[in-house]
Amino acid sequence: MDKKNVKLRIYGMTCDDCVATVTRGLKEQDGVLDVKVSLKEGVGDVMLDGEKVKPEDLLKNRVFSKPSHYKAIITDQ
Amino acid sequence: MKNEIQKFDLVILGRGAAAFSAAIKASEMSDGGMTIAMVGTGPLGGTCVNVGCVPSKYLLEASHAVFNPSHPRMLGIFETSVKHDFSEVMNGLRSYVAHARDAKYAQVIESYSNVKLFNGLGKFVDRKTVMIVGQDGKESATVLGSNILIATGSSPTAPPIEGLSDAGFLTSDTIWNLEDLPGSFAIIGGGAIGLEIGQALLHFGSKVTIIEALDSLLPQTEPEIGYALRAGLEKEGMKFYLRARVSRVSKSANGKSIHIITHNGEEIVEADELIVATGRKANTEFLNLAAAGVDTDPRGLVLTANTMKTSAPGIYSAGDCVSKKLFLETLAAREGVVAVSNMFGEDMKIDYDSATWAVFTNPQVAGVGMTENEFSKKNGSCSCRVFSLENLTKASIIGETEGIIKITVDPKDNRIVGMHIMAPNATDIITEGAYAVKNRYTIDDVIATSHIFPSFSEGIKLASQSFIRDMSKMACCVE
Ligand SMILES: Cc1cc2nc3c(=O)[nH]c(=O)nc-3n(C[C@H](O)[C@H](O)[C@H](O)COP(=O)(O)OP(=O)(O)OC[C@H]3O[C@@H](n4cnc5c(N)ncnc54)[C@H](O)[C@@H]3O)c2cc1C
Repeated sequence: MDKKNVKLRIYGMTCDDCVATVTRGLKEQDGVLDVKVSLKEGVGDVMLDGEKVKPEDLLKNRVFSKPSHYKAIITDQ
Repeated sequence: MKNEIQKFDLVILGRGAAAFSAAIKASEMSDGGMTIAMVGTGPLGGTCVNVGCVPSKYLLEASHAVFNPSHPRMLGIFETSVKHDFSEVMNGLRSYVAHARDAKYAQVIESYSNVKLFNGLGKFVDRKTVMIVGQDGKESATVLGSNILIATGSSPTAPPIEGLSDAGFLTSDTIWNLEDLPGSFAIIGGGAIGLEIGQALLHFGSKVTIIEALDSLLPQTEPEIGYALRAGLEKEGMKFYLRARVSRVSKSANGKSIHIITHNGEEIVEADELIVATGRKANTEFLNLAAAGVDTDPRGLVLTANTMKTSAPGIYSAGDCVSKKLFLETLAAREGVVAVSNMFGEDMKIDYDSATWAVFTNPQVAGVGMTENEFSKKNGSCSCRVFSLENLTKASIIGETEGIIKITVDPKDNRIVGMHIMAPNATDIITEGAYAVKNRYTIDDVIATSHIFPSFSEGIKLASQSFIRDMSKMACCVE
């Protein structure tokens, strides 16, 4: 396993439900090991298995795809 | 005291077309949530609005308004001399530029509270950090960007010609400050910028001589169009020296002497004023791109994939500083959108194959896709037709028949791969070519599509029909 920490800036979250939705969406992605999302800072901390998923693939997660209004960019990888 | 580092989701270096389009797209995609630093010097809006597209088109339109009434083309319409004042025209141009800059850039960016403007030039410290250097040469701020967009554009260059700096010259950056119209101009460089400015000055009444190193005009287009444009401009009084090399420039009693070497040996062109329009160089020298690991081509242009990603992760580039063939406002803006969309994980690619380009002389020249030569070189054979505007009713009614529409198709399936037009409104009708090339339309698709009669756009349909019929044997109502 190639463990990697990726930091995301997440836009569009306004409440705890949003945090739950984004966290669930990310956790369901193959290769994602752990997810911590902060509403206050609008960021996500994702631990992933680099052999299974590339950091950019997180941005293609269904939680960041239309019609969802959440969007994200990678801030650190 | 050391400046504290300010963090942003996106740092944009530059504040021209590419930068604005990227900042607006990023703001829209993040619903105003993305924190953006926009770094640059000079007037907001960069080249296009201040010293490029906008003033050059203004000057051309004003010059045609003076020239056309004194050159009527229809029977019974008599030559009329238009009263005008060149210095007032230039005042009008400058105030229009100020208005456009204010309305389209300054006010627009003010309405995005997530965008912070920084005055100064950016210089990479590392892959994420940019130092901003003020006019005094000192660091005024340091910004850190999760993503960085290099959109620093380009500036006019002058070749190393003996005596050129001492004699003095104008460029497309400085010509807009003219107050009075010099009696004569020599222009070094017969590309789009030289020809547009040259025809505008000619139409206002100056004598204009173009000195060009190549043996034809506009090598990016079909040779028939290059010849036809030159013939048309010569008819209006423009003088050309092609395959000419400037060896020396010196001041003379009334202006400047430009020493050129042609096949006739050395010749001297005398002119009141000299314009250098030989090309532009990317504004990348100051950026310290090596510190960020961003690769450039030998001309200093930033190398990108068609996603606008550079060789450094998290760093993108857009606009005139990118290594590519066409340098246009439209592409700069599109590349800005592509770069930002990909920051958000989309798989967007820039499409250069169906990008339209134009030269706004009268007649205008515009093109999209490959020329006959380009397609043949790549594929071994091609099929093309040259349609003269002499066969177009609209053109002959208004007496402007000095034009051409050339279409190149892939002989395998008759799909249109290139369209090049010289016509009074080529810049408008070329969009049909863009649709055709982008969507891989065949000439039959064009023929089967309704075109207004009589119009210039009908010329595109007739040019398509000329693949299947002899145009001299065709009545104007044949479908
Ligand atoms: C005379 C003329 C006529 C033209 N006519 C047309 C036309 O009719 N149609 C068309 O499509 N195109 C036309 N163009 C081309 C068009 O103007 C350019 O393609 C377009 O403006 C490029 O935009 P840009 O954002 O890449 O660069 P620019 O608009 O040049 O912006 C670059 C910005 O970066 C800033 N900068 C430079 N270095 C740094 C640094 N180190 N750090 C931070 N900022 C920096 C500059 O100050 C500037 O603000 C014309 C150009 C010229 C010169």
